[in-house]
Amino acid sequence: MLKVTGLVKRFGATLALDGFSLEARAGEIVGLVGHNGAGKTTFAEVASGLVKPDEGQVTVGVPRAETGFAPQRLALYPSLTVRETLRLFGGLAGLRRRALARAIDEIAQSLMLTGFLDRHVGVLSGGQQRRAQAATAMLHRPALLMLDEPTAGADPETRKALLDAVAARAAEGAAVVYTTHYLPELADLGATLAVARAGRIIARGTAAELLGGLPGEVRLSMDDEEIRVTTTDPTATLAELLAGLDRPVRAIDVRRPSLDDLYRAVAHAA
Amino acid sequence: MRHDPLHRVAVLTRHNTILRLRDPGHLISYLVMPMALMLVLKPLYGGSMTEGPTQAVTGMLVMFSVLSLSIVGTATLSERTWHTWDRLRATPARPIELLAGKAIPVFVILAVQQAILLAFGSAVVGMPVTGPVLLLAMAVAVWGFALLAIGTAVAALVRSQGELSAVCDVGAMAVSTLGGAFVPVAMMPPWAQAIAPASPGYWAVSMLQAAVRGDVAATLRPAGILAALGVVAGTAACVALSRGWGRSRLL
Repeated sequence: MLKVTGLVKRFGATLALDGFSLEARAGEIVGLVGHNGAGKTTFAEVASGLVKPDEGQVTVGVPRAETGFAPQRLALYPSLTVRETLRLFGGLAGLRRRALARAIDEIAQSLMLTGFLDRHVGVLSGGQQRRAQAATAMLHRPALLMLDEPTAGADPETRKALLDAVAARAAEGAAVVYTTHYLPELADLGATLAVARAGRIIARGTAAELLGGLPGEVRLSMDDEEIRVTTTDPTATLAELLAGLDRPVRAIDVRRPSLDDLYRAVAHAA
Repeated sequence: MRHDPLHRVAVLTRHNTILRLRDPGHLISYLVMPMALMLVLKPLYGGSMTEGPTQAVTGMLVMFSVLSLSIVGTATLSERTWHTWDRLRATPARPIELLAGKAIPVFVILAVQQAILLAFGSAVVGMPVTGPVLLLAMAVAVWGFALLAIGTAVAALVRSQGELSAVCDVGAMAVSTLGGAFVPVAMMPPWAQAIAPASPGYWAVSMLQAAVRGDVAATLRPAGILAALGVVAGTAACVALSRGWGRSRLL
């Protein structure tokens, strides 16, 4: 659905993309993570056609009208209502009349915007504006959906609504590229991961593949002592610790390797 | 889903019309103020020249239509402030469609503004219109096109709303004064007369006054110059806007 190969993009002396390659297939959610300045937003701008790369290839397997893009920055008209905003972007995507009205009702319900459809965007809360922006990218059910940090600054309610809607689109067969700093979101989405650093992808695979072999932690709390053990097999380590103890344990905490650990490990290794 | 350019231009035109109508302050003031000034200046011009009412009407029309560059500029600059221009560029709409959808409502606003002022000038101020309405309509259309192109080019170049206001205010006063909107060029000092043709306002006043009296030849020459100016400015604006501004040139 989307394949970019060897992207290079310079902004003056800054090398924003340095051989960036990534592929997203139909029905797949690719979670793109990386530090600020890793090239995630530049990739999204190149993939959506806003910025031309200096080198490399972008192949989008569907017509432009079947793509949806929500940029990192809020890009909405404050003096328009949410309904007028959705009419604009739905109309540009080729939806008309009843199909457009139906699509607006569906996406509004999906992203909890029904009660705000006739309110001006400028008076909405930040979370409502985030949902409205995501709705502009999703209402025409694009086959390729690119969301650049759609939950930045969003409250838990907004985050859950967005994640549910994104998962639903992927279940319908859309390829999704989801850029975020909130790694647990990607676990909730069941996304495959792509870790960006210094303008290129340095790790790619499923969460299980990338998390295998990373250490987790077992923590036992007693009345007068706390034991912490870093281990790649928390279950076996916990069993060993409990077998060797002759005192009552007040609390047990097993932390399996998380995406945060992966992020740190891969970034550190690179 | 159907994908055709005309549908997208229609969607964008409707959208931009809504945006303009939600913020009508400038348009209203640029209609009311010239009407008032026409009435105030009419006795002054009438007492000193034979074509006093025509000078009062066309002069104020040109001055306030140049001030309306701020309407054109704001229409473009707001997209930049709201980051919506790049959002639109990421849709299936091509740059030419985006520009057409933005230009059509603004052009209509400029044309309506001029038409209302000319009608007011004829009916209330007493400007004698002896030329054909079609010639006057052509002059209004050419001047509207030139203003639209210049205003869009200015908005693509300036970096803030403050810069836009400064350029529009200072530019409008300079262009209209130098162009003979306040005082006929023939009554200006020699040095001002020498540089007056550098002002688009000079050609606009000449064109409109010729169209009002029905002088086709005297209308077409300035119309050609203004149309050429509009094409140059419009091309520059199209190139700048089709590239977008990117993150490095945000307001």
